[in-house]
Amino acid sequence: MILPPFEYVECTSIEEVIDALGDGDSDRDARIVAGGTVVVPMMKHDLLRPDVLVSLERVAGLEGVEQSNGEITIGALARHREVSRSESVREAAPMLAQACGLVASPVIRSMGSLGGNLCYGESASDPSPVLLALNARLHVSGPNGTRTVPIEDFFVGFYETAVGPEEVLTHVEIPRQPRESRWTYRKWTPRAREDKPLIGLAATIRPDGAARLAVGGINPTPVLLGSASVRASDSDLSEREVNDIADAAAAEVDPFEDLQGSEEYRREMVRVWVGRVLRALREVEVDR
Amino acid sequence: MPRVTDAGAQMTPTVGIRCVVNGKTIEDSVEPRTSLVDYLRHGVGLTGTHVGCEQGVCGMCTVLVDGVAAKSCLMLAPQADGHEIRTIESVAPGEELHPLQEALRDHHGLQCGYCTPGFVMTALALKDSGAACDEATLRAELSGNLCRCTGYQNIVTAVAEFLGVEEHPA
Ligand code: FES
Ligand code: FES
Repeated sequence: MILPPFEYVECTSIEEVIDALGDGDSDRDARIVAGGTVVVPMMKHDLLRPDVLVSLERVAGLEGVEQSNGEITIGALARHREVSRSESVREAAPMLAQACGLVASPVIRSMGSLGGNLCYGESASDPSPVLLALNARLHVSGPNGTRTVPIEDFFVGFYETAVGPEEVLTHVEIPRQPRESRWTYRKWTPRAREDKPLIGLAATIRPDGAARLAVGGINPTPVLLGSASVRASDSDLSEREVNDIADAAAAEVDPFEDLQGSEEYRREMVRVWVGRVLRALREVEVDR
Repeated sequence: MPRVTDAGAQMTPTVGIRCVVNGKTIEDSVEPRTSLVDYLRHGVGLTGTHVGCEQGVCGMCTVLVDGVAAKSCLMLAPQADGHEIRTIESVAPGEELHPLQEALRDHHGLQCGYCTPGFVMTALALKDSGAACDEATLRAELSGNLCRCTGYQNIVTAVAEFLGVEEHPA
């Protein structure tokens, strides 16, 4: 397949990237390419027809995972495979390692970057609900400097994020999680396991009881389940309480529909999986 | 300075690349819109790497980039710059088959053979990574390669034999 022509710019610094992206207002559509697993297929489907592709591959400082005091910083260019295997992530945010290890198929995981996954703005993303549950912060650079976006403000619409056309996501920060937090990520794919999740549900319960449940693949964006998060905070939930919380979560969501499932089916899956996750967390032995 | 396409007087701008393909250094200029698989097939003349879905799903186009398996339909030719690419042509350059190819033949791990180069490159990357591997890992690692003929079992058996992984009957 032959794509329409475009210009290719390979940058070595964030400043060059911002320069190459232009002001975001002109008719010239500039897009960032990292691992290529999203932008290239979208161009082949003619969903994107950029005039310029700005490659991040050689930009310094976007790689790798760092840990200090239990706080994790992940460069936007870190590949899913690298994140899933990182000792620091496995130790401080094991749920993120697990979710990154479930994205698509192995080769795609070693090509596609975590930053690209987030900037795609896909609701049915494995890492996105996990980062919501972990309360991550995202660092975005643009012509007016650098800003920090709390993950709850990051997903603004169907395939739409807070990153402007003139901006670039540089890294993801995950605050220290208290020791002895309980966590789980569950992904349900009705067809093949390398598919996107029909529902991806992430939950953490801290030792003080504070809970965060987040879901991907249901609403047009990945979202926190507010009411369920508050009510899951009670320790030792009875079976009846679990069912009530699952019902409340199903009532709270606003599902989209596609060929994989109707609105009703997605809502029902929220009920089913919130229940499963809460029951699983009840049984998790805290050994960290 | 960023490396940019040289629009010059040409209709379709090109960009210079320098990479190593199967041990040979190549210097060329390519149109950015060329995918790496198309460049390998049409630019370098290595037609052993196949093209299926062209969107990262089927694994037909799998090559090694610096020793790691990559789907070359998702890479643009300029992204090969500075890297070392290995394709199926490097696997058994002489008359003898590579032991993995031998195993695939012995176990009837191919019928039409269209998917075979992709499976071979994926399995070689797995072997070279040196990671501990059991049958479940092996199956998971091959999950990004599709085969429309064999039903996979014989491919798994051949790759398991090649990697020295013990298979457990279902
Ligand atoms: S042709 Fe590249 S994955 Fe299908
Ligand atoms: S042998 Fe025909 S597609 Fe695999």
